[in-house]
Amino acid sequence: MPPEFDKRLRVGPALLGAAFMSLASCAFDISRVTRTPTTFQAQAASEDRAWTLTQDESIGVGSGFPTRLRQGTHWQLAGHIPEGDVYRTSDQIITVEASNIFEAMVVLQGDKLAGFYLPVEHSFVVATDKVVLPIQWRKQQ
Amino acid sequence: MTRSRLHLAAVPNLLLALLGLVLLAGCATSGQTYSQLQTNLSPPAEGQGRIFIYRTIVLGAAVQPSVKVNDTVVGSAVPRGFFYIDRPAGDYTISTATEVTRTLSLTLTPGQVRYVRLNIGMGFFVGHVWPELVDDSEGQKDIADCHLVKS
Repeated sequence: MPPEFDKRLRVGPALLGAAFMSLASCAFDISRVTRTPTTFQAQAASEDRAWTLTQDESIGVGSGFPTRLRQGTHWQLAGHIPEGDVYRTSDQIITVEASNIFEAMVVLQGDKLAGFYLPVEHSFVVATDKVVLPIQWRKQQ
Repeated sequence: MTRSRLHLAAVPNLLLALLGLVLLAGCATSGQTYSQLQTNLSPPAEGQGRIFIYRTIVLGAAVQPSVKVNDTVVGSAVPRGFFYIDRPAGDYTISTATEVTRTLSLTLTPGQVRYVRLNIGMGFFVGHVWPELVDDSEGQKDIADCHLVKS
């Protein structure tokens, strides 16, 4: 048997194996978000700490599935975590998505979006970019 | 001879018909649609909320994994089918498993109605079914023509 042919015989299964592993990694849990346990302190909703988003925003968390916040949605303070103030809306569903999906609320530090609070997991997910949200406060801050 | 050839020629057609029957059997076609049922539905009991779980996609009809809520089986991912559960307000995890387990976590408040769509995507050996929380308006639109299946 020529040596080139023998080499090809060995490389073929290796390539096949690599392709198999590559496909397998696509099919399984490869998209994750880093969650940090945190402590939530609820606060009664108040129009003093409410705002409206004036433009669509897309917020990444490093999973490849950004969370879209819709223009015109109205947000109210829900409480606090050490990472910032937690706001919720009833105008749209907010989730953080990776291989699994988590319902979420947004966390602001001032008017910058710091990340998301996951109420079921009691944890915080940091945003990849801390963008200043285009918001209009209901009452002057 | 001619007669047996005729019989042989009919085999592929019979197989196709059988396959069609099996595929159709996999779809939910018997129960009431959400639109029909909606007017007769009573609201959830006091202190409880309601979760509608539905699947619109027929593609991959043979893949109908169980749907679990907090690790208890509550139904199956039947194509064009839906079911609902009433639960006390609280935190819930909805999961489906084929070759992988996909989960969705959500909160439920008293009187709240939530819509969870079961999507299907490609897998390695078997398609993946994953639950997604959708806006009420989107859920109501999606679910309108789905049929009630046993939960």
